[in-house]
Amino acid sequence: MEYPKNHKDIVEDLMAGKFLLPSVKYFDSLKENETFYNEFFKESFNYTLTVTNDFAYVISPDTQETLSRDISIFFAILCYELDRDGRNFLDQIQYSEFEMEEIDRMFENSSFIDLILSNKQLKDTDARRSLINAMNRRHIVEKVTEDRFTFTSAYKVFIEFAIELAKSRSKEVEPSNN
Amino acid sequence: MIKAEPISIIRFLGNYYDIIRELYNLQNSEGIIKHEQLAEICRRYDHDIQQQLKDYKILRPLNSDYELRDVYYKLMEFILYEFKPMLPETFEKYFVSMSELYRKIKEGVNGDKMILSERIINLQVQIREFLDGVEKNTVRLLHETRELKANVDKMDYRVKVHKASFWIEYYIIPLNQVLNINYQDSVANKLLEISDFANQRRLNFDEEGLRVQFEKLYNQLIQTNDDLLRQSKILTNELLPLIERIRTESLILTGWIEFLRNPYKVTTPKILKSGRSGAYNKNLFFHTKEFFEQFIEEEEVFIEDNPVDHEQWIFNKTNVKAKLKEQVPVQDFFSWCKDELMNEFNEVDAEKFFAMCTLLFEEDIEKEFSDKGSKTKIKTPHSKMTVPKIKILN
Repeated sequence: MEYPKNHKDIVEDLMAGKFLLPSVKYFDSLKENETFYNEFFKESFNYTLTVTNDFAYVISPDTQETLSRDISIFFAILCYELDRDGRNFLDQIQYSEFEMEEIDRMFENSSFIDLILSNKQLKDTDARRSLINAMNRRHIVEKVTEDRFTFTSAYKVFIEFAIELAKSRSKEVEPSNN
Repeated sequence: MIKAEPISIIRFLGNYYDIIRELYNLQNSEGIIKHEQLAEICRRYDHDIQQQLKDYKILRPLNSDYELRDVYYKLMEFILYEFKPMLPETFEKYFVSMSELYRKIKEGVNGDKMILSERIINLQVQIREFLDGVEKNTVRLLHETRELKANVDKMDYRVKVHKASFWIEYYIIPLNQVLNINYQDSVANKLLEISDFANQRRLNFDEEGLRVQFEKLYNQLIQTNDDLLRQSKILTNELLPLIERIRTESLILTGWIEFLRNPYKVTTPKILKSGRSGAYNKNLFFHTKEFFEQFIEEEEVFIEDNPVDHEQWIFNKTNVKAKLKEQVPVQDFFSWCKDELMNEFNEVDAEKFFAMCTLLFEEDIEKEFSDKGSKTKIKTPHSKMTVPKIKILN
């Protein structure tokens, strides 16, 4: 049987829980063979493959809930604090480089400090660094240096989650027509 | 007096939490729990606990109706983290009571020790209550203002501004004044004054017991000051600029604010659990090895020096030098060293070889270097050296 080009790289990255990004040369190969990979991951591991123009990743029925929750809290507080500071948080996440020192300052002065201190992955500088490293391994952020990083297009998964949550909550309070 | 054991009451609260929560909600919305409402809730949960609620003094009768006793109401408020905002005017009572207690402590510092001690204790209680009140208010104000920012109810901008102005005018600005250390009549300023006094007295008071009490008061005030500063920072950074902040609205931020209300009760995006190594993973071997290695019990190993293993060799420069002098002229000094070592020890040990090389630095040995730059090779058990040919003339 003949496998698509860069098959090994594609499978290796996705199976490590990484987001595959358009900047990687074999992203196109995955997109061209999307049907094959959908079936491949479903049949081989019962994983679901999601491919968009911005990223691709697989999810297992058994999800890594804690990491996902910690990353979501991280994004939520970051967006909230950037907005509080009068900055356009979406522009910042899309185009800006972040410095660990700036993140620390934002988190330490946040009014969500109780939540931050009670979270093992966010409670202090070291914990936050380790979370950024975990996000780096999964290609959600890209480290420029040891202290600086940018977000990859994988941030959209989490932003989309916030939008969906807002929509569902708004529906809950919408008055019924009956 | 309550007949039941304290632990029975605590268990009762746990067992019938759902009913008590409903009673709390009812009192919150209607200010009172009607007799028939209480009966209906108990019937719905199929638990006839009305008598226990009264016996354990959880409910207080009000004519034929009821209300939750303050201590249980506050307990529910606290564990649900849902506080009613207090009008800052309420904080004025703390200013009055603290000022009065402080004045009497100052005046009575040389008077009756017993009453002085009681006043210090009471002052500490007032400070604790005040800080608690401020913290609760900030929590509630943060909650209200975040709701306004999230705007899940899709309020019109005009309504939002109206609400924000209400919070700012009646709650946020007055609370900021209470916490403003630069304002002479603020509680924060009064606390600073008391702190200075307690600091002096904790270092300078005849009676040890009271000195310790002043010390405790001082430490409490240091901590209170830090806490109030934190609350004040929230007011300045987040609550006062509320009008400015609600100008922009974003669906994303609405989602995040909703999420942060209780992040542990929402299902977050699924991501792959990468704990296992796939067949393609290049680290599979090392991960497996590492996994099994943790179970290997290694025997303890002791390393002891064994002095008998080899005899320590001491370089006798005089003897070797005399030997060299006997054989001059020597055409190649390093080869001579090698031969000497081979004759004596049957091998060229690096340490011994280098020791012999030190003869080259002897002033009374005349040397000549080869113009052609010819080299010779010396092999030891662990190394190979390429050294120049040096002739010893005298």
